[in-house]
Amino acid sequence: MAATGQITARPRPSVAPATGGAASARAAMMLRVACALVVFGVWEAVSRSGLFYGEVVPSLLSIAKAFGRLLVDPVFWKNLQVTALETIASLAIGAAAGVVTGIVLGANTFLMRAFEPYIYYLSPTPRIILFPVMIMWFGVGPTSKVALGALSAFFAVALSTAAGMRQIDKILIRVGHSFRATTWQMATKIYLPAMRIPILNGIRLGMGTAIITVLLAETKLSNQGLGYLIMQIYTRFDMPGLYALLIIVFIIAGACNALIGRLAKEQA
Amino acid sequence: MTSDSTIARPTAEPAMVIDDVVKRFGRGAEIVTAVDHVSFNVAQGEFVSVIGPSGCGKSTLFNIIGGLLGDYEGSVMIGDERISAPHPEVGMVFQEESTFPWRTVIENVAFPLELQGVAKSERMDRAHHFIDMVGLASFEKNYPSQLSGGMRQRVSIARTLVSQPKILLMDEPFAALDEQTRLLLGDKITQIQQQLNQTTLLITHNLTEAVQLSDRIVVMTYRPGKVKRIVNIDLPRPRTSDVVGSDAFGHYVAEIWNDLREEASRGMADSEAAASRRSAHG
Repeated sequence: MAATGQITARPRPSVAPATGGAASARAAMMLRVACALVVFGVWEAVSRSGLFYGEVVPSLLSIAKAFGRLLVDPVFWKNLQVTALETIASLAIGAAAGVVTGIVLGANTFLMRAFEPYIYYLSPTPRIILFPVMIMWFGVGPTSKVALGALSAFFAVALSTAAGMRQIDKILIRVGHSFRATTWQMATKIYLPAMRIPILNGIRLGMGTAIITVLLAETKLSNQGLGYLIMQIYTRFDMPGLYALLIIVFIIAGACNALIGRLAKEQA
Repeated sequence: MTSDSTIARPTAEPAMVIDDVVKRFGRGAEIVTAVDHVSFNVAQGEFVSVIGPSGCGKSTLFNIIGGLLGDYEGSVMIGDERISAPHPEVGMVFQEESTFPWRTVIENVAFPLELQGVAKSERMDRAHHFIDMVGLASFEKNYPSQLSGGMRQRVSIARTLVSQPKILLMDEPFAALDEQTRLLLGDKITQIQQQLNQTTLLITHNLTEAVQLSDRIVVMTYRPGKVKRIVNIDLPRPRTSDVVGSDAFGHYVAEIWNDLREEASRGMADSEAAASRRSAHG
């Protein structure tokens, strides 16, 4: 037993992954597609078997039809627009505040020591528990969602920016001083560009939590937005419509994430 | 050979006067004197090197003259001004890799002009001129990551020259490069220095480099860093790296090494003693 364990644990020759790179990428892709097909197949089989009550597992065809219906429905587009604007606004506010806070904390060891614990312990707290407070402050409309989304984006961006600040190559700062850069020039021409990758990563994380928070808040209490629409469809028990809408939300979130991810990669 | 001289060449007005500079670090019993009563002048258009073993306070002196270390005793004067912050007339080139990775070569070189608010077309023209001078004209649109270490240091030098400082202050700019590249870049530096009549102060621990490039060499002692001797290098100009093979060059190297060896040995003995203390405790 021990002997075979040793043999399998021995590292493979380093040429193996290199030569198998393209082939293994293709194999991974095939496995991924196969997995999706299996899930679809099982889903369809379960749906047709009638094992579940009513339309809990609707057929793929009915989901596709609902998908088509949604895409031509002006109500869907209006609600999508509301959620998109809420998310963009909360990300803009949260990221701007987060970058500034991150820079201040990253630049000042004393302030960092004083405030870092707050950020660390508050950041994993689910923001949704503050939703009732936001409703009281900002009302049922979009403002309360934006406030909550901004709060959740803020922490991710601030933490990532502060970390990026500490990783800056010190020599670049000395170069800036040697050319007598003003504080503003130091910030815009050295600190920000030097931290563009951690900042973009923070914004990507922040966007993720902002989308989650905004949607979640919309499902709780609101009169517009995709989260509201999801609850509307749910109360009508339109299961194909519900699944179609979930797929759309999934695609939008994935696309946004990929976009910022690509931006970060281009900058690297 | 006329080697001992603390007076600058009488023909030229001193561009910089370093007078009785002292810098101590730490406090109480832990106090360390890094720079100890250092005085010398740098004449207009002159190339002066400061040479010494590690721990002779060269880098501290570099930071004081560059204005990055404002708190010191004595004075470093440019005209009537005592340096206590980075001075517009002093251009610094650092030992470390210091190009901005997110800027192309020409954007890197134009950086100081950008800070001064020079119009874009003018700063590109001026940057182009100095990139050409360091021999990187065909790499203007490249990013530093696409260049070799020697090319990146030339970008840094062009970036410093573009603001046309009265005094070029360099801290071992070629320390990370191999010997051949270093000799060839030395030629480039000599050529540029002659072309611009650029007053230059080079901090180095490389003897060949110092003799190859300098008009005068300030030899520093190991801790505390004092001026041990100032040597005039009367090698003909224009000079190229061919000079390295000449008898006169060999004499200068031998002579300065004589002084330096003593200091370097003290430095080595010190660091070995520290190492054995550490291993005895550990």
